[in-house]
Amino acid sequence: MTSVLTRMVARALLAPTLVVAVAILVKGYADVGDGFAAGAVAALGVLLQYVAFGRDAVLQALPVARAPFVAMTGVAIGACVFLVPALLGDAPLEHSPAAGDEVVHVGTLELITAVVFDGGVFLLVLGAAVTIIDAIAAQGAEEP
Amino acid sequence: MRSPGSQTLVREERNLRRRISWSAGSAIAVAAAAFLALTVTWAVGGGGFDLAWAPTWGLRLAVEVDGLAALYGLLAAGIGVLVFVYASAYVPRHLAHQERPRGEEARLHAAMVLFLVSMVGLTVAQDLVLLFVFWDLTAVASWLLIGFDRASRDARLSALMALLVTTVSAVPMLVGILMLRAEYGTTQLPELLAAADTGPVVTAAVALIAVAALAKSAQVPFHFWLPRAMAAPTPVSAYLHSAAMVAAGVFLLSRLHPLIALSPRLLDALMVVGLTSMAIGGALALSADGFKRLLAYSTVSQYGYVVTLLGVGGAAGTGAACFYVLAHALAKSALFMTAGAVTEATGARALSESGGLARRMPLLAFGSGAAAAGIAALPLTIGFFKDELFFTAALERGVALGGFAVAGAALTFAYVARFWTGVFLGAAPAGVRAVEARLVWPVVALGVLVLAGGVFVGPFASLAADGAATALGAPVELAPAYHLDARAENLMAVAAYGCGLLLFTGRRRLRAALELLEHAGHVVGPERLYGLTLRALNRTSNRLHDIEVRDLRARVAAVIVPGATLVAIGVVVTPTQGAYVPGGVAGADAPLIAALAACAVAALIVTRLRRHLALALALSALGFALATAYSLMGAPDVALVAVLIETLLTLLFVGVLSLVPSDVLRRESELRESRSRRLRDGAIACASGVVTTLVVWAAFSRPIPPQGMATRHLDLAPDAHGKDVVTVILADFRGLDTLVEITVVAVAALAVMMLRPAEARA
Repeated sequence: MTSVLTRMVARALLAPTLVVAVAILVKGYADVGDGFAAGAVAALGVLLQYVAFGRDAVLQALPVARAPFVAMTGVAIGACVFLVPALLGDAPLEHSPAAGDEVVHVGTLELITAVVFDGGVFLLVLGAAVTIIDAIAAQGAEEP
Repeated sequence: MRSPGSQTLVREERNLRRRISWSAGSAIAVAAAAFLALTVTWAVGGGGFDLAWAPTWGLRLAVEVDGLAALYGLLAAGIGVLVFVYASAYVPRHLAHQERPRGEEARLHAAMVLFLVSMVGLTVAQDLVLLFVFWDLTAVASWLLIGFDRASRDARLSALMALLVTTVSAVPMLVGILMLRAEYGTTQLPELLAAADTGPVVTAAVALIAVAALAKSAQVPFHFWLPRAMAAPTPVSAYLHSAAMVAAGVFLLSRLHPLIALSPRLLDALMVVGLTSMAIGGALALSADGFKRLLAYSTVSQYGYVVTLLGVGGAAGTGAACFYVLAHALAKSALFMTAGAVTEATGARALSESGGLARRMPLLAFGSGAAAAGIAALPLTIGFFKDELFFTAALERGVALGGFAVAGAALTFAYVARFWTGVFLGAAPAGVRAVEARLVWPVVALGVLVLAGGVFVGPFASLAADGAATALGAPVELAPAYHLDARAENLMAVAAYGCGLLLFTGRRRLRAALELLEHAGHVVGPERLYGLTLRALNRTSNRLHDIEVRDLRARVAAVIVPGATLVAIGVVVTPTQGAYVPGGVAGADAPLIAALAACAVAALIVTRLRRHLALALALSALGFALATAYSLMGAPDVALVAVLIETLLTLLFVGVLSLVPSDVLRRESELRESRSRRLRDGAIACASGVVTTLVVWAAFSRPIPPQGMATRHLDLAPDAHGKDVVTVILADFRGLDTLVEITVVAVAALAVMMLRPAEARA
């Protein structure tokens, strides 16, 4: 069992970690970081919970069983961003708004389809990493 | 004595079987809708759409219902309706025989619909790349369908064989399409047909495409997959192996006929292949015992006729080919369905086990009798006209071909007579079970169509003439009719019946020769070559695998050594004068050099450590030192990802190590490699390290070219509304790469999930 301090820190860190992950994602186009880094940060946050509380507690507290679904959703989003322009007659993965057009800003977030694509990468990395983490943790749980 | 309860169960089961499942119902609905849509479009004179599809590659979703599309599409959809009705009764029985749950029915119907859709798509596609996509989709669907009985090794191998023969041969087809595209700058069929002229490139390209078409139509020497494909449930054979899958090959030959006709040698080659298939298929059908095997060889032979006719070419040849496909498909699927119904009623699967069903199943005997008469080309059936047109076209080409045509028709007559009389005449068997009406009525419906075509041939002829007009690029007149005079066609037909009757009655005397032919096919035939090739490939693959997976070092060396050799060859043959010169060291580089020195120290420590945990931590230290180096080189994005991934990996690494029993770890860490291997591994490591260092150093010493990719990316980033160029590259400029990479990660995650035992999954 981990120390009380570790568990306290882990519990306190989960929400900020996810906030940081989302921040890295949404300001990816303006600053350092992208969907991949954001996914890795979020996965680290989840991994910390596994280390601090053990798999059973995490299974109860977080929807980690949904991780493969999250990963597939990420790929599906990426594939949609790839395919939809092709179906509309543009080149595959043509982002909009096009070069030179006006972009709507929400803070540092730019509303462009490239950010949606990056969001797909984020979900995929998070989902795949948590799937793998949980697989390893499950093996550990089986050991006496 | 059964208890009442079990009787109720039996009755319930029977009721359940009688009902059409929703999956079968929707398959029938899809086929009927496709049939209606095609009929209406054809009736109003055609129609289609043309949408952009990946315009950067010049591809279009161009679709049009022209004459050929109407002919082949209506066949696929129309026979599809009847076969799906048949399947709605057959498949539940098939599953019940094998004690499989009825729910698996949906899988078959789904694959049937996939096949129907890709077949119709294939016929209407006006772009060769689009056509190729549908072409391979039909192969995938046929693989699913032939291998429907997954528990049977024979079914699996047969499905694989059909898939390999039809998709490996599709690779030359793709090469041919790309050759045409390179020559004329388009893959649009109308443009290609208009632009193409005689030349070696066109001939070679079309010959490559014809290989795929002949393989799909099960022509010699690719014919061997078709009899094996009879491992499929009967509705699948009735559909794919009479009207659809095998028809796709001759469809493609008709589609590209104007290009084929540019080269007389190609036409002659088609004729040779067609005649050979006609002879070999017909002879093997005369000796085959199994119902479906006989019918499969008959299909090989009948499509041989069509290929021969396409080789004859001209209005007579293409017109007869189109009519032949129509007449044959109607009759042949009826015969396949007859075989299935007979097997369900009596359990017999071969001629030697069956006979005398005419009185027990009169409706079936009538329907399949009409269909058999159609294939045998008796008067008052649509088949008579198919042979009439065939004889006319053959005579136009020469008397010799006329002779071959009569011989082929005689063979056909003989094996069809053998099939029908073998099933329906003779001593009546005991224990004929009643079968659902849905197993019989589709046969009767097709039989009636075959007879109707023998009386009112007009609509059939106009459909075929429309198809031929598209294939030829010029109007085609098809006027099949009865003539009560001594014209050549009539005499040839009579000669064919006479010779056929002789062959039929004297077939037992031919048995030894036919068996020899079949045996020779097994010993030196293409099927043996297929088996040998497959085994050789398998052995090579296993050998490479064994080398690669012996241990982790072997795996790394298996990548590094061939990779380095290739790179070395590349460097040697490319003029690289002055391109790889390591530059000097400036004072500002000191922090970077410190970080790299830390990396080097960590790497050296890694080589000395023996305990696993210490190794993992040292590797992680190496990773963090490298991340520091990235950040010092002005690559904060890479550094961020490196730190994150290093953290994740280290934790997971330690986690995995904790799963391994400690005594195993200790034993492993005390193992010593032999001296020679240590020397060899050390030499590989040192050589690759030194070369990589020099190359990277030299690359970084070069001034950044003003017109290079990096500059371009930086310039374009504002256009993509981005300030962080790395993210813009990942999500926009090189987005396709990213998409492929995340797909790989997703597959890895799926694999991890699947490797875990079911009960351990969260």
